[in-house]
Amino acid sequence: MSSVSRRSFLARGAALTGAAGAALATGARAAETSAPTGPPTAPGAAVEGSDLATVQPFTGAHQAGILNPAPANATLLAFDSLAADRDTLKAALQALSDRARQLTVGGPVPLLEVDAPPADSGILGPDNAPDALTVTIGFGASLFDGRYGLAAKRPAELTDMPTFPVDHLDPKRSHGDLLVQICAQHRDTVVHTVRELTRTVRGALQQRWSMDGFAGAGRGPSPKNSPRNLFAFRDGTANPDTTDASLMNQLVWAGAGEPAWAVGGTYQVVRIIRMHVEFWDRVGLTEQQNMIGRVRDSGAPLGGTDEFQDPRYDLDPDGKRIPLDAHIRLANPRTAATANERILRRGFNYHRGFDDAGQLDQGLLFVAYNRSPSKQFVVIQNRLNSEPMTDYVTPVGGGYFFVPPAARTAADFVGSGLFA
Amino acid sequence: MLRKNARPRALLFSGAALALVAVLVAVLAGGGEPSSSTAATRTAAQAVTGPRFGPPALARYREGSPHVTSQLNTYAVQGAVQGAPSTPPDELPPVSAAAFRTPVAAYRAYSVGRLRLMARQVAALSSALAADDRAAAQTAWRAAYADYLNLGAVYLEGPVAALNDAIDGLPGGLAGGVASPRFSGLHRLERGLWSEAPLASLAPFARKLSADVARLARLIPHVQIDPADYATRAHEILEDAVRDQLSGADAPWSGAGVLGTSAGVVATAAVIRTLAPILSTRESVLPTVNADLSDLRSALRAIARAHGGELPTTSELTRLQTERLDASIGQALEGLAQVPGALETTRALAIPQIPAKDARTAR
Repeated sequence: MSSVSRRSFLARGAALTGAAGAALATGARAAETSAPTGPPTAPGAAVEGSDLATVQPFTGAHQAGILNPAPANATLLAFDSLAADRDTLKAALQALSDRARQLTVGGPVPLLEVDAPPADSGILGPDNAPDALTVTIGFGASLFDGRYGLAAKRPAELTDMPTFPVDHLDPKRSHGDLLVQICAQHRDTVVHTVRELTRTVRGALQQRWSMDGFAGAGRGPSPKNSPRNLFAFRDGTANPDTTDASLMNQLVWAGAGEPAWAVGGTYQVVRIIRMHVEFWDRVGLTEQQNMIGRVRDSGAPLGGTDEFQDPRYDLDPDGKRIPLDAHIRLANPRTAATANERILRRGFNYHRGFDDAGQLDQGLLFVAYNRSPSKQFVVIQNRLNSEPMTDYVTPVGGGYFFVPPAARTAADFVGSGLFA
Repeated sequence: MLRKNARPRALLFSGAALALVAVLVAVLAGGGEPSSSTAATRTAAQAVTGPRFGPPALARYREGSPHVTSQLNTYAVQGAVQGAPSTPPDELPPVSAAAFRTPVAAYRAYSVGRLRLMARQVAALSSALAADDRAAAQTAWRAAYADYLNLGAVYLEGPVAALNDAIDGLPGGLAGGVASPRFSGLHRLERGLWSEAPLASLAPFARKLSADVARLARLIPHVQIDPADYATRAHEILEDAVRDQLSGADAPWSGAGVLGTSAGVVATAAVIRTLAPILSTRESVLPTVNADLSDLRSALRAIARAHGGELPTTSELTRLQTERLDASIGQALEGLAQVPGALETTRALAIPQIPAKDARTAR
């Protein structure tokens, strides 16, 4: 099985690189040296003046899809590795990065002989517009078991996500050897990427679960106001400033104590949090606001008028204004002692129809980044285990993943350090 | 598993009876008669309250809302609200906390009675285990489980919370899951009874359950229940039943989710019965709720009839039965959600403002 599969995905990769290699490589170099929003060089890759032309660079120090603002659409796609050996896994990861890089740059779809299946599914037309696509590749703890001799490379804190007291985890939507986070401005770009990437690694990496997400539109009143989650509250207000590089080193990028290959990566926490929205919609507004700690309309902390206002817990030690068990207060107490616990959240809303019992299946794809889950995410989650909001949410899946540094060059791939 | 109750509710907008603008009815119904049995059985509730779709009649809209600009929309769907003041409707004066004394006492007595029934079923379960009769043991378990869920509103603080975990705890949050030694109550028995486990191996769990139930029955008469919590439970029991029972989440081995939902309806009706004397003086909540609960009980009876007289497992429900049950429960919950607001015991306090001179902006 393995030799055949390996040949097939390597051959497909070669066809794509061979047929359009020159254009893509040129495009890649140009895009990666220009500003992230610069137009692709591939002719006709996007309608002029359209945001379809936006490029997020695939290579660099850190992977894209973490610090850049979340675009409108996402899919989380978990894989298990069925690669028979270490070389096959390495080849699959190389092919995954290569194809992801091509798609993030965009460009014309290569032409093969007309009697061959097309090299690209073609669902975006003859030119793939980049559309701010990011493909963020992370590894689960299970990849570091005995199968591929990677145990010594396991990032210091990477484990399976534990089951927290509030969890009702569905094994069919939890964990995985890999997690690929695909984000773009338009849904069809994400779907195309899912289709191309699964095809690229077929035989070696088998999809395990997937969840589609979307971001609330920027509805103001100002462009910096945070979008809303499906409880209607603004989400992400207290995120650390992603443009502050030293703060990101302090909170997000893993460093000391990690194996050399992992430095500059980050721990990704994924929680699929079902929200019982019918129930929520039957709760009085005052109670909703007290559970969150914010005013629903403006997003301001209770007693305030501006979303980004400091809630001043120091002036409200008894919780007369913002209850002591309000979500924002437990999640981020804003004290000197808790400053280093902060995490970077970059979640998406989800809607996947309704369940067998007829209830809407909506919620939050909570995605967060931190340099040390044990000192950050877990500490926060444990404070939240008994918050009143737990009645209205059920975490049903997700996992812990380690997102390594990006491919350094167009010849490099995400995870190359595992095989060094 | 009964979850910890949410915080007591602060004052809500006073619940207004839902009303419907004729135009919207015509649009929703397509101008014709509802043809499904689901729609037809709603008439009991409608007879009391009238049709109940669309925004509350007293809803007001903020002046100058940018998207409420179309006259057609405003008049046809939302009613003639242009120029309405942006303040919410007036609230009824609060109910005195003392008015809850009798209802809460009645509820405690009811709970003790249910636990006595449960104790009998647990004894029957033990006998069935000793007789190695799995069918009889399963029957006794279902009865005991329903009796427990008939409590609906165990107040999960302190020792009562620990007992609830022991009696009705799920393996989900325990280290080791189903293998945890702390997984020992109703659901541990459920798992064994609906598998090939030798019945004799379950006897110790039944003994422990029996002792825990007796202990809870001794504690209940001393449990203090906050009036706001009690009013909140009027709708949260059924909300929990939908989330935990009808979903199949809480009783995965026996599939007893419909039974559990039905038990939640019984518990809700018991709470509403105790509250009726207060509720009858407040707005028009009580007739709606009673009609909806009656409709819901009819739906459950019809389902039992269609399954040989006994409530089926969640997976045995036909699509139409699931839809019928969902529709009835959803409608009942929309009405029950008005109860806490109608029974507020305090007026909403204004939220203190963050002092202006200290109001720093984060960025």
